[in-house]
Amino acid sequence: MRPSALMASLYPPAVRERWGAEISSQVSESGIRSWPDALLGAGRLWLHPSDWPETTDGQTRQVLAVALFAVIAAAALLVRAANQPVALTASLRHPATSLWLAPILLGAGLAAPAPPLRWRALRGLATVAARTLSGPAVAVAVMIMTARAGVLPHPVGHARIGLIAGYWAVLSFTALRLCTLITRYARTARLPTTRRLRSAAMLIGAGLSLAAGQCLVPLIWTVPGAGSPALALAYSLLAAVTITAAHDLRQP
Amino acid sequence: MHSADAQMLVLTVLADGPRHGYAINTAIEELTGRKLGPGSLYGALSRLEARKLARPADTAGEAAGRHRTMQITDAGRAVLRAELEQMARVSQAGLRALGTTPA
Repeated sequence: MRPSALMASLYPPAVRERWGAEISSQVSESGIRSWPDALLGAGRLWLHPSDWPETTDGQTRQVLAVALFAVIAAAALLVRAANQPVALTASLRHPATSLWLAPILLGAGLAAPAPPLRWRALRGLATVAARTLSGPAVAVAVMIMTARAGVLPHPVGHARIGLIAGYWAVLSFTALRLCTLITRYARTARLPTTRRLRSAAMLIGAGLSLAAGQCLVPLIWTVPGAGSPALALAYSLLAAVTITAAHDLRQP
Repeated sequence: MHSADAQMLVLTVLADGPRHGYAINTAIEELTGRKLGPGSLYGALSRLEARKLARPADTAGEAAGRHRTMQITDAGRAVLRAELEQMARVSQAGLRALGTTPA
């Protein structure tokens, strides 16, 4: 993909549909000096959903619902990447250190499009889910079978790098397909209201802030291996983005 | 550039007639001496359309397919007039304070 097309692809869908070709063309003409403005412009628009024009009714809400699930997927991948510090868990056996998940799950529940209560629609939804998630299901099954087969009990060098890369490719692919499922599901389901999405974004932002705090507290108390400054920074950024977008939805 | 400034510039140019992105930027360059970056220009157009201060012009033919021509709405004209009148008041007060007679 050319850099100019990549820049245009970073804009929210409604903007891309209208001016994607023109943005790409202007970035291509102006060269590298236009990149900072193009990137800042895309970032500013993502932080202000009330600035998106709508091609179809509910388009902004649809994109926001998917974006919130993408944030949750990113948060899940991040906690895995940091090798789960002791202060941040995702398990019922450690309720105190898993507290950050509560507002995030509540937010996910609010952001989820309401399931249609008709047999035909539910059957259609199940078909879409099976089609969308069959790829990740196969990938996860292959990964588990490979691990259990014990073909490479102590991989080293290129084999180790390949296995780690494969593991992350499967996790990222699964996260991406889950977001695709929400996108496809949102086309037919009843979308949450703007008010509900705002509450969802605030809750998810609060959960991410809590996670960032949980990563930092052990560092302040100098507990080795319990916290993670990089993870705290990543969660803080995600929280700031989510809360800013939620705040923007308060605009009339 | 501040997003509100970019929106005012785009509205000012559109008040003169419907234009597409490139033409808007060329007119802004004639007016201010420099073009807006793509993020500032299309961000401003998005905000203006979302707030119903600008809308796509009813154009037909080849040009309409390639570029999206935009035009100012009545609400856009009202907002632009109010902003320009306020800026004119500030400008006159500033020039008076400097001892310069406003043109």
